[in-house]
Amino acid sequence: MNKDELKEHDGKDDRPSYIAYDGKVYDVSGNNLWKGGMHMGRHKAGEDLTDFLPLAPHGPDVFKRAREVGTLEATPSDRAAERMEMLRRLYHKVHPHPIVIHFPMGLYVFAALMQAVFFLTSNASFETAAFYAIVVATLGAIPSMGSGMLSWWINYDMTLTSIFRNKLFLSVVLIAAGVFLVSARVMIPEISSRLDLLSYAYNVVLMATAPLTMLLGYNGGRITWPQ
Amino acid sequence: MEAKTSERIKALEEMIQVVLLAIPTEISAYEFYMNAALKSTSDSSRELFESLARQEKGHEAELHRILAETKTELSELKRGRP
Repeated sequence: MNKDELKEHDGKDDRPSYIAYDGKVYDVSGNNLWKGGMHMGRHKAGEDLTDFLPLAPHGPDVFKRAREVGTLEATPSDRAAERMEMLRRLYHKVHPHPIVIHFPMGLYVFAALMQAVFFLTSNASFETAAFYAIVVATLGAIPSMGSGMLSWWINYDMTLTSIFRNKLFLSVVLIAAGVFLVSARVMIPEISSRLDLLSYAYNVVLMATAPLTMLLGYNGGRITWPQ
Repeated sequence: MEAKTSERIKALEEMIQVVLLAIPTEISAYEFYMNAALKSTSDSSRELFESLARQEKGHEAELHRILAETKTELSELKRGRP
């Protein structure tokens, strides 16, 4: 039988209690330790308990006392889970996200620093450096977000929690900021030096990319070192 | 929405995050011990690492179970069912 068929034997409403271990299915109905399809208030009948056994106070010998009623067959969802497992192992070997994020993280902060030095020295070279840093950072932010979403899919099943909500929001804001900065600077090369609302917005957004990037990194750190 | 329900929802969401972030740690530990078992130079150390790897697999399975149960409870609460 497959996992869906096994689930139907959950010991509830007078249904038999079946459990699977190491590819075999056992009938534990009538066993005092499996009353109502529940074992020790923790394990349910109708499930594959193979991975849980190493934590049990007993070994697999207990199954010798149960009646074997069949074998557990793989379903398309099992095969999909195996493919996901292979993807996950590949991701862990290559881990693209921690690699690519360092480029935009460093460059956005560098850009803000260069712009600050430009304000202090009026040396246009620093403003140009800031611009090119923003260009490369924004180009790098796109695969960073992509690899982050890949990691979120592979490792966390795209479960939306507060950390991932923050990272998604901040990534979109950062990329939008980068696109605005690059577009504005290309269209108006002297934008950093003008004294109008657009120039003010340009400089504020540019300086803001540094703390935005750090906040993104901070949320990434909360994933790596959960508390 | 009652305050208690809202607090419970918040607690469940935090629990989901805690468990979700713990799962890859168990998987990494499992892979670490399996690699160590492959590199073992004695039968006793290989058996030890394989046993430790199986326990990590068990931890992962428990965390998946807790995650599934918590997600179910959260979705039922949000739908307004008891």
